[in-house]
Amino acid sequence: MPLSQPSHSPTQADPTSTAKVAEGCGTATHPAYLQALAREVQHNLLHQHNWTSLRIHTSSPLSHEPLPRPLVSGLPPHRIYVHPDEQIEELKQGLKEEDVGVEREWVLPTRLKEKWSLRRFGEVFDGISEEPAASTPDETQEEEEEEAAMPVQTHVNVKHGKRRGGKRLLLATVGDDSTVVYYIVHDGIVKPRQN
Amino acid sequence: MTEQGTSAIPELPIPIFRVSPQVERYMLYDVNIISWLRKHHNILGVLIGTIPQVPQQNVFLGLPLELLPEEARLLVADGIAYVVDDLSWHRKSIARGEHSERMQQDLRREGLQLAQDFERRKQDKMLEHVEGAKGKRKNRIKQEEEQGSIQAQETLFQGVSNPVGQSLPLAPTQTEPETQPWIIVPTTAESLLGRPAKGPASQMPLVRPASYALFEHLHRRSYFMIPGLRFGCQYSVYPGDPLRFHSHFLASGLDWDEDMDLLDLIGGGRLSTGVKKGWMIGGVDPTREVGDLDSEAIGAKNREAGSALRTFCIEWGGM
Repeated sequence: MPLSQPSHSPTQADPTSTAKVAEGCGTATHPAYLQALAREVQHNLLHQHNWTSLRIHTSSPLSHEPLPRPLVSGLPPHRIYVHPDEQIEELKQGLKEEDVGVEREWVLPTRLKEKWSLRRFGEVFDGISEEPAASTPDETQEEEEEEAAMPVQTHVNVKHGKRRGGKRLLLATVGDDSTVVYYIVHDGIVKPRQN
Repeated sequence: MTEQGTSAIPELPIPIFRVSPQVERYMLYDVNIISWLRKHHNILGVLIGTIPQVPQQNVFLGLPLELLPEEARLLVADGIAYVVDDLSWHRKSIARGEHSERMQQDLRREGLQLAQDFERRKQDKMLEHVEGAKGKRKNRIKQEEEQGSIQAQETLFQGVSNPVGQSLPLAPTQTEPETQPWIIVPTTAESLLGRPAKGPASQMPLVRPASYALFEHLHRRSYFMIPGLRFGCQYSVYPGDPLRFHSHFLASGLDWDEDMDLLDLIGGGRLSTGVKKGWMIGGVDPTREVGDLDSEAIGAKNREAGSALRTFCIEWGGM
């Protein structure tokens, strides 16, 4: 992957405007088809699943190297994953769904026809932190103001940036008819939910 | 042999019987070893023997136990067991044939002992019932019992002098006053042929490296594995004994660069979530450094420590 451009330029997508989304493809560290794929998934999350505060990440928050492919992050309308231990604790404390805020999630866009391998999953996980950043360092101030205006409750039990069960991401797989399916992938042995 | 079900520590290393040099199948015949391995080494295997009285059912199977090649290899690698070629060992040992007479006598004696114990218990119970009601009868039964034991002693000596080929009654019947020995069918050949000798270099069971790496990784972390065919994976992974726990994962081992179809991942993830499990894929990362396998380091937080293997768990996203 060429390092010609400063890889440090993820874009903030305004959930209300799709026009702003297109700005993300200005930084050409990834091939156009991968950028298009990320945008497709971003649109699906935005319009079909009512996610908010979506953005596309092109570089790793840890090493600041380019990611294997652009990743999407955003806030789901309600929590998409609750660790079983956490669920038990919340039940014991009598917490309700509304009391516990949503967590920002990583989303890995893929196409159904692609072949994946353990190495590729490993590389993606090596590039990400447990919790995706809501904004780039330059935008942090702006973001803080936003958060003050529209507070998003952070999880009461979880320290900021740490996740029960370690790193996880949402594997978004786009089919030929642009159906997107979402699967949670954990890095390591994480016991299943007792739905 | 008679103390079935207890898990006394067997003499180590234990023999694992390979059916023949052509077939990669490993058997255990001794129930003590099987229960000991299950209790102390998380080795389950698969019981494959039918019950003679009910040969059609396959819900409850009995001896022998077939080990997965992975299980056999793990035991050999840990020095707990060694592989014996069942076919050639039997041929060699039976050709000598010096022990058969003595074994048959031993079995007969043991069967007689069992029969006598059974009779005695039956009579004791009868005595309890009769006791108090008829004092005189009690005395008479005692006398009979004494006579019975003398007769039993006589049959014991008959057994030694007679060739054992003659037909034996299946169980003592009430019409016959004298105790007949029970027939004992030994499940292992050890009483006849002795313990098979360990060869100079015990062969290693052959396994698929990618699968074995995942099996070993999970086994070292106290998981129990059974074959996962019925869920379309390699292993069903249990957090404890399957008799006490539901399985947590449906696991498949892959090479680090092995291509996988995303459709398989999605299908597996969907199936697993449907049965309240997780779909697990794992393989050895050749670039990863192997640390010490310290049992303290492998806590709930750091389950990946001490291994170059990396695992991923997949669940349905619910959207």
